[in-house]
Amino acid sequence: MKRARAHLFAYCPRAEFEAGVRSMAPFTVAIGVWGLVTGVAMVNAGMTMPGALAVTLFVYAGSAQLATLPLLAAGTPLPVVFATALLVNLRFVIFSAASRSYFMKLPWQQRLVAGYLNGDLGFALFSRRFADDPERGTPEQYGYFYGGAVTNWAAWQVSSYLGILVGGMFPSEWGFELAASLALVAVLIPMANKFPAVAGIVVTGVLSVVTADMPMKLGLLVSVLAGGAVAVSIDVWRSRA
Amino acid sequence: MNGVHDWLYMTLAIAGLTVVTFATRSSFFMLPQSVQLPASWERALKYAPVCALTAIVAPTVFTREHQPFISWDNHQMWALLAASAVFAKWRNMTAMICVGMVVFTALRWWA
Repeated sequence: MKRARAHLFAYCPRAEFEAGVRSMAPFTVAIGVWGLVTGVAMVNAGMTMPGALAVTLFVYAGSAQLATLPLLAAGTPLPVVFATALLVNLRFVIFSAASRSYFMKLPWQQRLVAGYLNGDLGFALFSRRFADDPERGTPEQYGYFYGGAVTNWAAWQVSSYLGILVGGMFPSEWGFELAASLALVAVLIPMANKFPAVAGIVVTGVLSVVTADMPMKLGLLVSVLAGGAVAVSIDVWRSRA
Repeated sequence: MNGVHDWLYMTLAIAGLTVVTFATRSSFFMLPQSVQLPASWERALKYAPVCALTAIVAPTVFTREHQPFISWDNHQMWALLAASAVFAKWRNMTAMICVGMVVFTALRWWA
């Protein structure tokens, strides 16, 4: 176990790890609520306990988990499920491109683990702290990154497991799928900070409601493509004008 | 199909979703340094998650039995609007979920 850990994590000084933990600590309340809601929602959607635990550990992506949950519950064809998760997760591709210069010195196993841990909050805190640092890939940077990311991971895992354990106790009339939708809207609202994004949301939202009776969730694909095209077009048009 | 109750379906789903997590989060960490993200792609990548999340949330709240459901009787809709207003003002997810669930429960009992 000790050897495997030395292999998967880069060496880092303890003081910087602790600084990372402290910077993430205030967010653990919100992470905990979000994890709890996700755990309860998974069990309420009919997932078995081992299934829900496996999703929490391996998939570890709150918004993609909640977004695919109604699709999984309806037995939607898996390519549609994977495409939806991919679309929701595309923001992480941008994060990895933006922060790769800090990690490229590491062996591939450590980069793979660092990527798995590079969620929304960890990325935001890390970028804010080291954006102006001329040196890239120092042990201090790894320490701060791991401290924040591992704290985020632990808060998510513990709260999700708790939600999975108690999930069966909440009757379905309480509307826990609404809590899941609300958690997704909390991710969505900060992204709607510019006009192209707002236009994309309106077009996608209206189309997805109107096309909800299309078979195999085709309406989902159609509305994302149309809304995305509108948002990108407006962005391109505005940057030229 | 049985969805979440089907053992094989769920096993394949979890395996595929795990691949999606690593393929996106670790994407540029694993690619050779010569591969860069083209600026034009960045736009599309930026708006895709916004639209995908909308396409999931909107039908769960604004439809019933796959038909548009915009009505005084749509308790989820009013709860979502109240919760969104709270989040837009205070940027606090915990408060947002609490307000949304309280509004939903109050309407369910009394409306």
